[in-house]
Amino acid sequence: MNGEIEEIRGTFKPELIPAATGGNIDDYEKALHTLMKFVGSMSSALEQVSGRGANAIVYQAGKRMGHEASKLMEKTDDLEKAMGELSEVLGQEFYFEMWKPSSQDNYTVERGDETEVKLLFMDCVVRQTLRRTGLPQKGPLCYLLYGYMVGAVEEVMDIRGKLDIDHVGPNACLKTLTIKWSGK
Amino acid sequence: MVEIVIDEDACVGCGSCVEDCPNDVYEMDEAKNKTKVVKVEDCMACLSCHEICPAQAMEHQDIHVAKRLYIDRSVKDAINRII
Repeated sequence: MNGEIEEIRGTFKPELIPAATGGNIDDYEKALHTLMKFVGSMSSALEQVSGRGANAIVYQAGKRMGHEASKLMEKTDDLEKAMGELSEVLGQEFYFEMWKPSSQDNYTVERGDETEVKLLFMDCVVRQTLRRTGLPQKGPLCYLLYGYMVGAVEEVMDIRGKLDIDHVGPNACLKTLTIKWSGK
Repeated sequence: MVEIVIDEDACVGCGSCVEDCPNDVYEMDEAKNKTKVVKVEDCMACLSCHEICPAQAMEHQDIHVAKRLYIDRSVKDAINRII
């Protein structure tokens, strides 16, 4: 193509989607990278205008998505089962596993009426977007996943939850999910 | 099981990985003035140590390598041709 823009010309009928509009992997790559830049710029501008309020806005957006995405999931009180279901909801783009340090016997830790579980997010489109745009991790965009996870947990377990970021890295991020049983 | 290989010839003994690792996987070997792996079982392969190491002196084996869709495929192809 040598940098030239290739125009798609054809007949369009409402009931037919011309195969040519599907594009190829190069088109998808360009679209993804453009979208990453847009989302990154939006997050950075949001932070500039709203300061810390940006986190709350993005969190709320994520939470709504989390509730929507897990509406049809089976409800459960079992945290480990819920994590398995959430893994399906979040899909490959937010691939995570439960994690524990070697000194700990179980994945879950009970503290009064709260249960904690550490989650290791290995694949994350938010992280990829931040790296494409050169933005630091732990910013407002990370709150999207925070909200998404909390929204999904609330939907599946019908309970209040929160997610804290313990550590961020280029290959994986560790977060602690806390479930408050009295919040039911 | 994660395995971490330290290239002792490359390690400059700055201790950045020791400070940065949240799980205390590394310690400084004072005698050699090099980093050493002491708790590999606690490594979660976040690779923060790779990012901070000025000498690229470490290699993590048998880990989940996260997708890097943000890198242009043409760039990946070019790198693969060089390396």
